[in-house]
Amino acid sequence: MRKYVLLAALLIVSGFMLLSAVDMHPFGSPDREDMDKYFINNAQEEVSANNVVTSIVFDYRGFDTLGEATVLFTAVVGVSLIFRRLIK
Amino acid sequence: MMSKIVRTITNILYSSILIFGFYIIMHGHLTPGGGFQGGAVVASGIALVLIAYGYDTVKSWMKKSNLSVLESIGALGFIGIAFLGIGTTFFYNFLANSGGLFGDPTVIGINPGNLDTSGVLPLMNWAVGLKVLAGLGSVVLLMAYGIRKGDEE
Amino acid sequence: MTNFGKVISVIEEIIQILILLIIIATAIMAVSFKDLLAAVISLAATSLLLSLEFYILQAPDVAIAEAGIGAALTTAIFILAIKGTVRREEL
Repeated sequence: MRKYVLLAALLIVSGFMLLSAVDMHPFGSPDREDMDKYFINNAQEEVSANNVVTSIVFDYRGFDTLGEATVLFTAVVGVSLIFRRLIK
Repeated sequence: MMSKIVRTITNILYSSILIFGFYIIMHGHLTPGGGFQGGAVVASGIALVLIAYGYDTVKSWMKKSNLSVLESIGALGFIGIAFLGIGTTFFYNFLANSGGLFGDPTVIGINPGNLDTSGVLPLMNWAVGLKVLAGLGSVVLLMAYGIRKGDEE
Repeated sequence: MTNFGKVISVIEEIIQILILLIIIATAIMAVSFKDLLAAVISLAATSLLLSLEFYILQAPDVAIAEAGIGAALTTAIFILAIKGTVRREEL
Protein backbone atom coordinates (compact mmCIF):
# COMPACT_ATOMS: atom_id res chain seq x y z
CA MET A 1 0.00 0.00 0.00
CA ARG A 2 2.73 2.43 1.01
CA LYS A 3 4.69 1.58 -2.14
CA TYR A 4 1.74 2.40 -4.36
CA VAL A 5 1.18 5.76 -2.63
CA LEU A 6 4.86 6.64 -3.07
CA LEU A 7 4.79 5.59 -6.74
CA ALA A 8 1.68 7.70 -7.37
CA ALA A 9 3.25 10.72 -5.67
CA LEU A 10 6.45 10.32 -7.70
CA LEU A 11 4.49 10.04 -10.96
CA ILE A 12 2.35 13.09 -10.18
CA VAL A 13 5.30 15.29 -9.20
CA SER A 14 7.43 14.27 -12.19
CA GLY A 15 4.42 14.74 -14.47
CA PHE A 16 3.95 18.32 -13.25
CA MET A 17 7.67 19.02 -13.67
CA LEU A 18 7.73 17.61 -17.22
CA LEU A 19 4.59 19.61 -18.09
CA SER A 20 6.20 22.85 -16.94
CA ALA A 21 9.48 21.98 -18.66
CA VAL A 22 7.73 21.54 -22.02
CA ASP A 23 6.04 24.94 -21.62
CA MET A 24 9.20 26.84 -20.61
CA HIS A 25 10.52 30.01 -22.21
CA PRO A 26 13.76 29.89 -24.16
CA PHE A 27 16.71 30.65 -21.88
CA GLY A 28 17.40 34.34 -21.35
CA SER A 29 14.21 35.82 -22.78
CA PRO A 30 11.64 36.47 -20.04
CA ASP A 31 8.01 37.43 -20.53
CA ARG A 32 8.07 40.90 -18.96
CA GLU A 33 11.32 42.78 -19.38
CA ASP A 34 10.56 46.47 -18.76
CA MET A 35 12.03 46.42 -15.24
CA ASP A 36 15.10 44.45 -16.36
CA LYS A 37 15.79 46.87 -19.19
CA TYR A 38 15.46 49.83 -16.79
CA PHE A 39 17.90 48.32 -14.28
CA ILE A 40 20.44 47.31 -16.93
CA ASN A 41 20.36 50.70 -18.67
CA ASN A 42 20.20 53.07 -15.69
CA ALA A 43 21.71 51.33 -12.65
CA GLN A 44 25.32 52.16 -13.47
CA GLU A 45 24.49 55.85 -13.86
CA GLU A 46 22.19 56.26 -10.86
CA VAL A 47 23.99 54.20 -8.21
CA SER A 48 27.43 54.52 -9.88
CA ALA A 49 28.32 50.90 -9.07
CA ASN A 50 29.68 48.45 -11.61
CA ASN A 51 27.93 45.46 -10.07
CA VAL A 52 24.27 45.82 -11.00
CA VAL A 53 23.20 42.90 -8.78
CA THR A 54 24.61 44.56 -5.66
CA SER A 55 23.06 47.89 -6.60
CA ILE A 56 19.66 46.19 -6.80
CA VAL A 57 20.14 44.26 -3.54
CA PHE A 58 21.36 47.20 -1.45
CA ASP A 59 19.77 50.21 -3.14
CA TYR A 60 16.67 49.56 -5.20
CA ARG A 61 15.44 46.67 -3.05
CA GLY A 62 16.95 47.59 0.31
CA PHE A 63 13.92 46.50 2.31
CA ASP A 64 14.40 42.96 1.05
CA THR A 65 17.93 42.88 2.45
CA LEU A 66 16.65 44.31 5.75
CA GLY A 67 14.16 41.42 5.99
CA GLU A 68 16.88 38.89 5.20
CA ALA A 69 19.09 40.35 7.93
CA THR A 70 16.17 40.10 10.35
CA VAL A 71 15.65 36.44 9.44
CA LEU A 72 19.33 35.69 10.07
CA PHE A 73 19.23 37.53 13.41
CA THR A 74 16.15 35.54 14.47
CA ALA A 75 17.89 32.28 13.53
CA VAL A 76 20.95 33.16 15.62
CA VAL A 77 18.79 34.15 18.59
CA GLY A 78 16.89 30.84 18.33
CA VAL A 79 20.06 28.74 18.22
CA SER A 80 21.59 30.56 21.19
CA LEU A 81 18.34 30.14 23.14
CA ILE A 82 18.34 26.37 22.51
CA PHE A 83 22.01 25.85 23.38
CA ARG A 84 21.95 28.21 26.37
CA ARG A 85 20.46 25.40 28.44
CA LEU A 86 23.69 23.43 28.14
CA ILE A 87 25.76 26.16 29.81
CA LYS A 88 25.64 25.74 33.56
CA MET B 1 40.32 17.22 17.23
CA MET B 2 40.48 15.55 13.84
CA SER B 3 43.26 13.50 12.23
CA LYS B 4 46.64 14.88 11.14
CA ILE B 5 45.65 15.10 7.45
CA VAL B 6 42.72 17.40 8.19
CA ARG B 7 44.83 19.60 10.49
CA THR B 8 47.63 19.98 7.89
CA ILE B 9 45.20 20.94 5.13
CA THR B 10 43.52 23.38 7.50
CA ASN B 11 46.86 25.05 8.30
CA ILE B 12 47.46 25.57 4.59
CA LEU B 13 43.98 26.67 3.60
CA TYR B 14 42.35 28.75 6.31
CA SER B 15 44.25 32.00 5.80
CA SER B 16 43.47 31.89 2.07
CA ILE B 17 39.77 31.33 2.81
CA LEU B 18 39.63 34.28 5.22
CA ILE B 19 41.43 36.59 2.78
CA PHE B 20 39.15 35.52 -0.07
CA GLY B 21 36.06 36.21 2.04
CA PHE B 22 37.24 39.68 3.06
CA TYR B 23 38.11 40.37 -0.59
CA ILE B 24 34.56 39.47 -1.64
CA ILE B 25 33.13 41.80 1.02
CA MET B 26 35.46 44.68 0.14
CA HIS B 27 34.95 44.49 -3.63
CA GLY B 28 31.21 43.78 -3.41
CA HIS B 29 30.27 46.76 -5.57
CA LEU B 30 32.70 45.87 -8.37
CA THR B 31 32.91 42.09 -8.70
CA PRO B 32 30.35 39.31 -8.15
CA GLY B 33 29.52 38.75 -4.52
CA GLY B 34 28.69 41.07 -1.69
CA GLY B 35 28.23 41.20 2.03
CA PHE B 36 26.21 38.02 2.46
CA GLN B 37 28.40 35.85 0.24
CA GLY B 38 31.67 37.10 1.72
CA GLY B 39 30.40 36.67 5.27
CA ALA B 40 29.36 33.11 4.47
CA VAL B 41 32.83 32.34 3.08
CA VAL B 42 34.56 33.76 6.20
CA ALA B 43 32.18 31.82 8.45
CA SER B 44 32.99 28.62 6.52
CA GLY B 45 36.68 29.27 7.25
CA ILE B 46 35.84 29.61 10.96
CA ALA B 47 33.86 26.37 10.79
CA LEU B 48 36.83 24.60 9.13
CA VAL B 49 39.19 25.61 11.95
CA LEU B 50 36.57 24.69 14.53
CA ILE B 51 36.06 21.19 13.12
CA ALA B 52 39.77 20.50 12.67
CA TYR B 53 40.95 21.70 16.09
CA GLY B 54 37.95 21.35 18.40
CA TYR B 55 36.24 23.90 20.62
CA ASP B 56 38.91 24.24 23.30
CA THR B 57 41.60 25.50 20.91
CA VAL B 58 39.35 27.98 19.14
CA LYS B 59 37.95 29.33 22.43
CA SER B 60 41.26 31.01 23.25
CA TRP B 61 41.28 33.30 20.18
CA MET B 62 37.58 33.81 19.51
CA LYS B 63 34.90 34.43 22.10
CA LYS B 64 31.19 34.11 21.55
CA SER B 65 30.44 37.39 23.33
CA ASN B 66 32.78 39.28 20.96
CA LEU B 67 30.92 37.77 18.00
CA SER B 68 27.59 38.89 19.48
CA VAL B 69 28.91 42.44 19.81
CA LEU B 70 30.13 42.30 16.20
CA GLU B 71 26.76 41.10 14.96
CA SER B 72 24.94 43.89 16.80
CA ILE B 73 27.37 46.45 15.35
CA GLY B 74 26.66 45.11 11.86
CA ALA B 75 22.87 45.23 12.22
CA LEU B 76 22.83 48.68 13.83
CA GLY B 77 25.25 50.02 11.21
CA PHE B 78 23.05 48.72 8.40
CA ILE B 79 19.89 50.31 9.78
CA GLY B 80 21.79 53.49 10.70
CA ILE B 81 23.17 53.95 7.19
CA ALA B 82 19.67 53.35 5.86
CA PHE B 83 18.31 56.05 8.21
CA LEU B 84 20.98 58.57 7.18
CA GLY B 85 19.30 59.01 3.80
CA ILE B 86 15.89 59.68 5.28
CA GLY B 87 15.96 63.27 4.00
CA THR B 88 14.70 61.81 0.72
CA THR B 89 13.62 58.24 1.43
CA PHE B 90 14.61 55.32 3.61
CA PHE B 91 17.60 53.52 1.95
CA TYR B 92 18.38 56.59 -0.20
CA ASN B 93 21.90 56.48 -1.64
CA PHE B 94 22.96 59.95 -0.50
CA LEU B 95 26.70 59.50 -1.12
CA ALA B 96 26.61 58.45 -4.79
CA ASN B 97 28.03 60.97 -7.30
CA SER B 98 28.50 63.54 -4.52
CA GLY B 99 32.29 63.81 -4.70
CA GLY B 100 32.88 62.94 -1.06
CA LEU B 101 33.56 59.54 0.49
CA PHE B 102 32.99 56.81 -2.14
CA GLY B 103 31.51 59.55 -4.30
CA ASP B 104 33.37 59.43 -7.61
CA PRO B 105 31.14 59.10 -10.66
CA THR B 106 31.72 55.83 -12.48
CA VAL B 107 32.41 55.41 -16.18
CA ILE B 108 29.32 54.30 -18.09
CA GLY B 109 29.90 51.06 -19.96
CA ILE B 110 32.45 48.32 -19.53
CA ASN B 111 35.33 49.49 -17.33
CA PRO B 112 37.82 47.87 -14.94
CA GLY B 113 36.24 49.57 -11.94
CA ASN B 114 37.18 52.13 -9.32
CA LEU B 115 37.06 51.26 -5.63
CA ASP B 116 36.03 54.80 -4.66
CA THR B 117 32.58 54.77 -6.31
CA SER B 118 28.98 53.85 -5.57
CA GLY B 119 28.09 55.76 -2.41
CA VAL B 120 26.80 53.86 0.59
CA LEU B 121 27.07 50.42 -1.03
CA PRO B 122 30.57 49.56 0.34
CA LEU B 123 29.54 50.67 3.85
CA MET B 124 26.42 48.52 3.69
CA ASN B 125 28.50 45.63 2.34
CA TRP B 126 30.81 45.88 5.34
CA ALA B 127 27.88 46.09 7.76
CA VAL B 128 26.05 43.09 6.31
CA GLY B 129 29.32 41.18 5.96
CA LEU B 130 30.19 41.66 9.64
CA LYS B 131 26.66 40.68 10.59
CA VAL B 132 26.59 37.45 8.55
CA LEU B 133 30.15 36.52 9.60
CA ALA B 134 29.38 36.95 13.30
CA GLY B 135 25.93 35.34 13.08
CA LEU B 136 26.93 32.16 11.26
CA GLY B 137 30.19 31.92 13.23
CA SER B 138 28.40 32.13 16.56
CA VAL B 139 25.87 29.49 15.40
CA VAL B 140 28.68 27.03 14.62
CA LEU B 141 30.54 27.97 17.82
CA LEU B 142 27.45 27.39 19.98
CA MET B 143 26.83 24.02 18.36
CA ALA B 144 30.45 22.97 19.01
CA TYR B 145 30.03 24.04 22.64
CA GLY B 146 26.96 21.80 22.94
CA ILE B 147 28.86 18.84 21.47
CA ARG B 148 31.71 19.33 23.95
CA LYS B 149 29.32 19.31 26.90
CA GLY B 150 27.73 16.14 25.54
CA ASP B 151 31.16 14.50 25.43
CA GLU B 152 31.90 15.20 29.08
CA GLU B 153 28.73 13.74 30.55
CA MET C 1 33.29 32.26 -36.48
CA THR C 2 29.65 31.23 -36.19
CA ASN C 3 30.68 27.62 -36.64
CA PHE C 4 33.10 27.96 -33.73
CA GLY C 5 30.38 29.49 -31.53
CA LYS C 6 28.03 26.65 -32.38
CA VAL C 7 30.64 24.06 -31.35
CA ILE C 8 31.21 25.94 -28.07
CA SER C 9 27.49 26.01 -27.28
CA VAL C 10 27.15 22.28 -28.01
CA ILE C 11 30.08 21.52 -25.68
CA GLU C 12 28.50 23.71 -23.00
CA GLU C 13 25.22 21.84 -23.27
CA ILE C 14 26.96 18.47 -22.98
CA ILE C 15 28.81 19.69 -19.86
CA GLN C 16 25.53 20.88 -18.34
CA ILE C 17 23.81 17.54 -18.95
CA LEU C 18 26.77 15.67 -17.44
CA ILE C 19 26.76 17.89 -14.34
CA LEU C 20 23.02 17.44 -13.84
CA LEU C 21 23.35 13.64 -14.15
CA ILE C 22 26.18 13.58 -11.58
CA ILE C 23 24.06 15.79 -9.27
CA ILE C 24 21.22 13.24 -9.41
CA ALA C 25 23.67 10.38 -8.81
CA THR C 26 25.24 12.03 -5.75
CA ALA C 27 21.79 12.89 -4.36
CA ILE C 28 20.73 9.23 -4.62
CA MET C 29 24.02 8.22 -2.97
CA ALA C 30 23.35 10.68 -0.13
CA VAL C 31 19.98 9.06 0.54
CA SER C 32 21.10 5.45 0.28
CA PHE C 33 24.36 5.41 2.26
CA LYS C 34 24.24 3.77 5.69
CA ASP C 35 27.47 5.45 6.79
CA LEU C 36 26.30 8.94 7.72
CA LEU C 37 29.68 10.62 7.17
CA ALA C 38 29.78 9.35 3.58
CA ALA C 39 26.21 10.59 3.09
CA VAL C 40 27.19 14.07 4.32
CA ILE C 41 30.19 14.13 1.99
CA SER C 42 28.06 13.21 -1.01
CA LEU C 43 25.55 15.93 -0.02
CA ALA C 44 28.45 18.40 -0.07
CA ALA C 45 29.43 17.13 -3.52
CA THR C 46 25.84 17.75 -4.68
CA SER C 47 26.00 21.36 -3.45
CA LEU C 48 29.39 21.96 -5.05
CA LEU C 49 28.24 20.65 -8.44
CA LEU C 50 25.06 22.73 -8.12
CA SER C 51 27.18 25.83 -7.59
CA LEU C 52 29.21 24.90 -10.69
CA GLU C 53 25.97 24.67 -12.62
CA PHE C 54 24.93 28.13 -11.35
CA TYR C 55 28.29 29.46 -12.54
CA ILE C 56 27.80 27.98 -16.01
CA LEU C 57 24.34 29.60 -16.15
CA GLN C 58 26.13 32.96 -15.50
CA ALA C 59 24.96 33.63 -11.93
CA PRO C 60 28.26 33.91 -9.99
CA ASP C 61 26.54 35.59 -7.01
CA VAL C 62 24.31 32.60 -6.40
CA ALA C 63 27.26 30.28 -7.04
CA ILE C 64 29.35 31.88 -4.27
CA ALA C 65 26.43 31.82 -1.83
CA GLU C 66 25.67 28.17 -2.63
CA ALA C 67 29.33 27.13 -2.27
CA GLY C 68 29.67 28.97 1.05
CA ILE C 69 26.41 27.96 2.69
CA GLY C 70 25.52 24.65 1.05
CA ALA C 71 28.89 23.04 0.58
CA ALA C 72 30.83 24.33 3.60
CA LEU C 73 28.62 25.44 6.49
CA THR C 74 25.94 22.74 6.20
CA THR C 75 28.65 20.07 6.03
CA ALA C 76 30.32 21.53 9.12
CA ILE C 77 27.07 21.52 11.08
CA PHE C 78 26.27 17.93 10.02
CA ILE C 79 29.78 16.77 10.97
CA LEU C 80 29.37 18.40 14.39
CA ALA C 81 26.04 16.59 14.79
CA ILE C 82 27.63 13.25 13.82
CA LYS C 83 30.42 13.87 16.36
CA GLY C 84 27.75 14.38 19.02
CA THR C 85 25.75 11.25 18.12
CA VAL C 86 26.54 7.97 16.33
CA ARG C 87 28.10 7.48 12.91
CA ARG C 88 26.25 4.40 11.66
CA GLU C 89 22.59 4.54 10.78
CA GLU C 90 20.62 2.01 12.84
CA LEU C 91 17.92 0.06 11.07
